[in-house]
Amino acid sequence: MWVRNALSSCRRHPRGPFHPFSRSLATEASTSSPVAPPESSLPQTSHPKTSQRLPITTAIILNRSPLITRTPSLFERAYYAYQARIQRALHNPFPYEFWFKEGSPLETRFRVEDMKRERKAFGKPFGMPATDAEGNVVGPTYEDIGLQEEDEESMPRTHAVDTQGDVKSLDRKGQRNLYLLIKAKSGEEGEEIWKFPEGGLQKGELLHEAAARDLTAVCGPYMDTWIVSRKPIGVYNPPSSSSENSKSFTFFCKAHILAGQVRIDKKHVLDFAWLTKQEMESRLETDYWLGVKDILSDF
Amino acid sequence: MSTSAAVIETMQRTVGSFRKPPRIRKPLKLDRHRLPIPHVKIVVGETHSCRLREHFHNTLQDDLMYMTYIHENGPRPPPQPVRLTYDPNNPYTKFRHNPPVGGSQLGKKPSPPSSPKNVIQLEKISLHTMSREALSSRSNLLGAIAAFRALSGENPGGGGWESSKGIQIVTGKKTAHKWKIRPGIPVGVTVDLKGPKMYEFLGTLVEFVLPRLREFPGIVLPPESTSMATPSGVSGVVSFGLPPEAMGFFPQIEINQDMYPKLYGMHIHFITNAEGVGAQNRARALVSGFQIPFARK
Repeated sequence: MWVRNALSSCRRHPRGPFHPFSRSLATEASTSSPVAPPESSLPQTSHPKTSQRLPITTAIILNRSPLITRTPSLFERAYYAYQARIQRALHNPFPYEFWFKEGSPLETRFRVEDMKRERKAFGKPFGMPATDAEGNVVGPTYEDIGLQEEDEESMPRTHAVDTQGDVKSLDRKGQRNLYLLIKAKSGEEGEEIWKFPEGGLQKGELLHEAAARDLTAVCGPYMDTWIVSRKPIGVYNPPSSSSENSKSFTFFCKAHILAGQVRIDKKHVLDFAWLTKQEMESRLETDYWLGVKDILSDF
Repeated sequence: MSTSAAVIETMQRTVGSFRKPPRIRKPLKLDRHRLPIPHVKIVVGETHSCRLREHFHNTLQDDLMYMTYIHENGPRPPPQPVRLTYDPNNPYTKFRHNPPVGGSQLGKKPSPPSSPKNVIQLEKISLHTMSREALSSRSNLLGAIAAFRALSGENPGGGGWESSKGIQIVTGKKTAHKWKIRPGIPVGVTVDLKGPKMYEFLGTLVEFVLPRLREFPGIVLPPESTSMATPSGVSGVVSFGLPPEAMGFFPQIEINQDMYPKLYGMHIHFITNAEGVGAQNRARALVSGFQIPFARK
């Protein structure tokens, strides 16, 4: 039910002073009843005393997309190798004369490399240099490109920071989706909790505009980000605010980091970390985790 | 860390050599080409994972769902019953055609409700070229066929896939004296790419061809004032053309460009599953996610 209320509170108020945007955009709710303002953790986003605090905060799910492809499992690799063998066994004869000039070094190289692939796929009698009736070798042999052969080594699929256990680097876990979490003091007790960067909504401001402003306020201006859509991708209602007169809602906006890095202001934010979904569970509070886990990517 | 160690271990383990094939006790039956007929229908599956498809599933799909989501309150109302102009019960007007009330519905088809199930995705890429020389002699089409085979790697029934149609020849449909086209004469070639080959072509296009084109700002968008209420606006297809010199930038052609009689320009259509109002914009959002540039004049 509260989700419904939250959505309806996002709808443009018919008597509100702020009209220029269409209904599909999420705008602030203009509440008529006095509501206890939730504690804002960030002084940058605090409002002037005249404006009324709103029970809505925006949180930004800042994502670093995978940088490299996923390492296939052993089963997948066995499947691919099997299919490659079938394809190699069944393919049409390769028209060398169409693709290469007769006797060119490129052709020799290709033939030898193909012989290697053939031998790797099917075993020893295959992929050996061709011989005529007397047993003399005709065509290229492995020695033909022996001198110019250099083994091409692929780059390692794990970065150095993976072994160091550095959670602040954007190079870690290149195959995975990473998300930014910050550690900040919350509430009157001042306990330190991990959460997504968040901030308040100012009067007349749209959710995605507030998200952009809050992200700069919390994480600094030294990164390029892109907020994916104007619509929030999820909403969280903390259990402490379940009573009728102190309702508060956190709307999540998705963003991508394109360049740069987070630079936090040590006064307000204690720490930050780029984490996968699985690494987050132990850091987040149970309610918060249950609220956000379904909007994060499993891999 | 244990996970990265596991990754390294998985990478280092090689897929072991395969078992020896079983001894052949009874030879297989031969077909009319004297080739053995296998006991099972052999279909060649994927031989490697597809990078761009992974990118779509990891990143693009989520973002496109959020970007193209349109919120609706509850289920849609049932469509209004058509107000009949002519009463079919009246014997005098019984067989008259009842035109739909409310004007032309062209380009006004509503899009299906947004859901995680119908997030926009690329269904196929269609390449097409028309060769004017083929009108005088149909053998002039051979160069285009060879080039398209090298570009697409498609074969009719290739890899045991009956759905793969290969390169298809486009024939004239109507008489057009201005262009000397008559019904039935071959005028061009077309090929449809689907699945991993489609993503492979897209990757080649984006990484090898478009960056090397001279003065290519991107796919030119129509002016902002253009109405989207057209059949193409609701069909979810992004189309553009490449000049003949662009074909020489594809690595498959570049390596032995002199084997082809000439280079051919082509039309490329990115066909998506989007439909309804705003489908073309959604298709543009998807295609730009694969790094195809767009530009306004």
